[in-house]
Formats: sequence, structure tokens, C-alpha cells
Amino acid sequence: MIDFARVQKELQECSRDVEASGIKVTPKSDNLGRLTGTIPGPVGTPYEGGTFQIDITLPDGYPFEPPKMQFATKVWHPNISSQSGAICLDILKDQWSPALTLKTALLSVQALLSTPEPGDPQDAVVAQQYLRDYQTFVGTARYWTETFAKTSSLGVEEKVQKLVEMGFPEALTRSALESVGGDENLALEKLCSG
Amino acid sequence: MENKDNNKIPSTEESKMQRRCDNNKKTPSPKHLQQIEEDNVREEEDFLDEFQCSVCLDLLYKPVVLACGHLSCFWCVFHSMNMLQESRCPICRHLFNHFPSVCQLLHFLLIKMYPIAYKRREREVGEEEKKIGQFSPQFVHHPFGSHSGEEMDFQSNSLHFPIHPQNKLCSDGCFSEEKEPSSLGNFAKAIAHREDNMKIVPSTPSSRSEGTTNAAIENCNMIRTESGHGIKTQASVADLLCAECKKLLFRPVVLNCGHVYCESCIISSMQGIPRCQICRSLHPNGIPSVCLVLEKFLEEHFSEIYAERRQVFAKQTDCSSSTHTQQLGTQSSSVSASVYSSWIFGNGPEVHIGVGCDSCGMIPIIGKRYKCKDCSEEIGFDVCESCHNNPSEVSGRFNQQHKPEHNFEIAQPQCFGEFIQMLNLDHSDDSDDDGNDFPAPVLSDDALQDGEDSSNDLSDVSASVLSVDFAPDQKDYPNVS
Repeated sequence: MIDFARVQKELQECSRDVEASGIKVTPKSDNLGRLTGTIPGPVGTPYEGGTFQIDITLPDGYPFEPPKMQFATKVWHPNISSQSGAICLDILKDQWSPALTLKTALLSVQALLSTPEPGDPQDAVVAQQYLRDYQTFVGTARYWTETFAKTSSLGVEEKVQKLVEMGFPEALTRSALESVGGDENLALEKLCSG
Repeated sequence: MENKDNNKIPSTEESKMQRRCDNNKKTPSPKHLQQIEEDNVREEEDFLDEFQCSVCLDLLYKPVVLACGHLSCFWCVFHSMNMLQESRCPICRHLFNHFPSVCQLLHFLLIKMYPIAYKRREREVGEEEKKIGQFSPQFVHHPFGSHSGEEMDFQSNSLHFPIHPQNKLCSDGCFSEEKEPSSLGNFAKAIAHREDNMKIVPSTPSSRSEGTTNAAIENCNMIRTESGHGIKTQASVADLLCAECKKLLFRPVVLNCGHVYCESCIISSMQGIPRCQICRSLHPNGIPSVCLVLEKFLEEHFSEIYAERRQVFAKQTDCSSSTHTQQLGTQSSSVSASVYSSWIFGNGPEVHIGVGCDSCGMIPIIGKRYKCKDCSEEIGFDVCESCHNNPSEVSGRFNQQHKPEHNFEIAQPQCFGEFIQMLNLDHSDDSDDDGNDFPAPVLSDDALQDGEDSSNDLSDVSASVLSVDFAPDQKDYPNVS
């Protein structure tokens, strides 16, 4: 049984200082069991300037069991699967404590972006690259950030324009963009899937 | 289900707005207007951040203070605990193996300061408890009522109750033992009532207070907390006394039994293991850490008296030059981790997984387990060997109505297979708890370790438990047995 009263409070607390932390948590639907977290890429890393979306699923035992988190935005990082977005982070597994919140967990994920642990990888390929050829790793990570995590560089009109140029009707494009919170990649996915 | 739960937090701005919108939509009827009025009158007090439980993020309800000094609600601590081995404090991860009793001093302080919010919590938690069929302890005494009859007199003296029919009535409401457990509403009213009377008090100093020597109490330094709609609540020095020296708490520590002492009082009266002077129960694992939340509250609300206490204490320590810090430094968990695994091989003490001692709170019970044959509650009543040999008057952690004349039988620990089976039953059918003291064990650490997808299925649970408990500790067995 999820403690929904607590989740509500967490959401309020999070939206109160969204300016300072840059971390957002929004419910996917009316059901508070599935949410989307948004974290900005840490400054001074290849992820700088990117905005990363994280799918959050709350287990029945929350907050006594850790929330399940997974990157929805593709990211190139030794501890995050480049395929599935699965995150290797102790506090999301055995080191979870009920005093942690979605916000603090997302802050930890953000900290993970700036301090990769290639010794305990989630994605072996990325970890190999990180250890053997750091410059290429930085290049790839930055390219992935540019490609998948940067949406804010374009205004809404430009995004609409871009998608309309791809051949989608404008009204549909606008509603798709709105429904995914302005993320052009997600909007494109939505448009493609129907 | 979710909607129902969401509606449970009437204090939030959003839901208030929502409710007002809803009301506006409907045709206004006297009933609705009345409802709105009631909502406004019953607006909750804003509570201090310190009194927010870090687990449920709401006002602390029946606070439990762990040995590390951190506090959380009764159920929040219980649900955070690990039924298989030692548990960790949700805030600092300090290891502990005893589930402490509710700190009644804090419980009654919160009732007094935030009667409306606390009542809402009581209602919400009560509903939840009915749903799961397990109940937290009910308190019918004033915190100091549990000291002794004599001290209760002392308390009412110190509060300057003029002998007046009205006051007699309300003091009964506050202190009498006959009070119904669930009458928190009356309690809150009685408090409000009492406070009305208290305001008159300074002009009519009671002759009954002459017997007290404690200057701090005679001053009866009151603090006032303004709240939204003119409801004024106060905390007084009398609510925050050390059970030993009867002065305002200085560097408060809370023992496993929930009683609160000054740190210095516990250290000075200690011979070997700290023992509570009120209930005579032992406090395991050394001297607990200072409860910083309570200390901060004392410092802020009774700054003068607290500073005085600090000065007196500083002088004392100068003279005696005792080595308190060294004693405090040795505080650690007394149970080696390997104890929890050795029982599987039959060469260590028995470990009763998922079963806790109702007297000292040890979870899981290590050593012999005595199960009450006469307690009818589904949750059962169990004590560990040392508590069985030194019986005390406890009524059970979950409000069981255990009586001293009840008989015990020795219960064997479950074998591993049964335990796994029980886990599965608990997952499939919540009503089954096999007569255990603490049903529905939470596999917080172990089972979740590798369980992204299916930590509930049988092979997964056993694999994870085994992988943690078996492998690394094998070399330790000789030490244990």
C-alpha cells in the first residue's frame, strides 16, 4: 500500500523549491504510483545543458521500499544503461532509507551524473570506454546530451515548425508537444506511435 | 483508493482550494456553509519542522526515539525495521535491534501543542490500524502519571491548580487514569479548558505549590504558540522534566522504555547498564545519544532556564572531571551480525525471525522465545528470555491486553522453509500472520537487493536471504557458539 499522503507532500515540497534545485517531479496521470522526474545535467560535465527525464514507479511498499527509477532520456554514462536507462545506484537498491524522498533520490542521480563509478558499471561498454579512452567517452556523452537531452534550446514555435517540416499536422504536433511537456523527442515518439 | 487517500490531507492548500471550488459549484445550502465554517474553525496549527516525521512527512504521531536520538512515528519506525536482522535508523543508518517504546513525554507534549493536527493524525492512523487489525499502544496517563502517585500530586501542585470545581474537572480530564483511551477529543478540550484557567493562575498563586522546591517550576515559564485561528497552546517546563532530577531536561536522552532523562542523570546513576528509574527496565547497548530535536526545542523555548542548566552542568563537570565522553563513545550495537546467520546451521543461539519481544522490543528475538498462551490477540504476545526471567508490567507493543497471571510456553523458531512459506502467504493473503508477533515482515534490505522485478517470488527471496546470511559469515561461527 503506497503512502499517497506522503507522495502528495513530497510533490508539494518539490514544487516549492523547483527554482533552486531544478528538480521536478510530476505525476504521469491521476495515479500517483507512476511519475516523471526531471533533472538538469550537472554543470561542468558532458551532461551540462541537458534536461533528463526519469521514469519513476512506486512499489506497493513505498516509502519502505525504494522507488524504481529509470532514465527515459537516453544517456551515455557508465552507471546507466544506454539501452534501457536502468540506473545502478545503491540508494535505489539496498541502501534505500524511508527518510529519503523522490527529490533526494533524484539529487543523488544527478550527483551520479557528475561522479561516474566505472568500477561498478551498469553499462559495460560505456565503462570500458570511460576507462580506456576518456576523451571519446566525453565526446559521446556530450553528443548524446546534445541529441537526446536538449530541448530547451528551441522555443515552442521552433519545435512545432521542426515537427511540421517532418510532415505532421500542426494541431496534432501542438497537442503532442503539450502532452509530453514540450520535449520534442518524446513528442516525435508519440506522433510516430500514433 | 488513491482518491480516497489524497483526500486525507485536508491541510494542504491544494485540497482546500479544491474543496472550496467543489463547494462553489454546488448550490449553496446551509449544510455546505456550515461545512465551510467548520473547516475554517478547525484549521490546523502549523507545526515546527522538527516535529515532522521524516518518514511520513507529517506531524509525529506516537513518537519513538531511537538510541541514536532520531525520532519517528511508532508505525514509521516499525515498518522501517528489518525482521531478519538488525535494523537501521532511517535517518542516520545507526544499527539497532530493539524497537523502543513510544516516548510518552513527547506524545503528550504534541497533544498539548497541536491538539487539532494531532487529533487528525489519531483519526487517520486509527483508520489504518483498523484496516490492518494491529493497534499501537494507547496511553491513558499523563506522562508523569506513570512515575508514581506521589509525583502526580507533585505535578498538579506545580501547575498551580487553584482548588476550584472547574479546575478539578479539567485536571481530572488531564490526569485521571480512568480516562477513555480514545477520548483525545475530550483531552484536547480539557487542555484548552485548562489553559483558560491557567491564564488566571498568576494572580491567584496557590498555597499548594509551597511544597515544591523547584524554582524553575514555580516560575512556570510558559510559552505560547500562536496558531492560525486564535487557538493558543502552551508548553510548560512541567511538561519537560527529567524523570530523575525533576528539573527541566538538559541534553535529553530517551531510553528504550520511552522515558526521558538528562544525559548527566543517566550517566551518574548508571552502574554498568543504564536502567530506567521509573519502570526499572534495562536500556540495551549503552547510553543513547541526545535527542537533538528535543534539545533544540528546549533551547529555543526555555532559553533562560536552559542556559542556567548549562551553567550548572558546566560547573559540575569542572569539579568532578568525569570522563563522560569516553563512556559515550563506546555506544554500539551489541549483537554481532553473525548471530543472525548462525542459527540456520544450528550452532548459534535461536533467532526467531519476524518475532519481537513485547517487553524490551528486541526484533528478532535471539535466544529462547516465550509465547503467551492466554493472550487472545491475533498478533500474539512474546517475550525474550531475559524479559521472561525479569517480568515487568507491560501491556504489549501493539496494545495487547496481557496480564501478569498469563502463562507462557517456549516456542521453537520457525525453520527456514516455513519462514519462506509465511512470506509468500503474507504476500498473497495479508490476513494470515500465523499468530506471530510481528506479521508481514518487511524484507527491506535483503530481498530488495537484487529484486528489480520479482522480489516477491519464492526463489528470489530465499536466494537473496541466503546470499547475504550464509556466505560471508561462515568463518565467524566458532566465535558465536
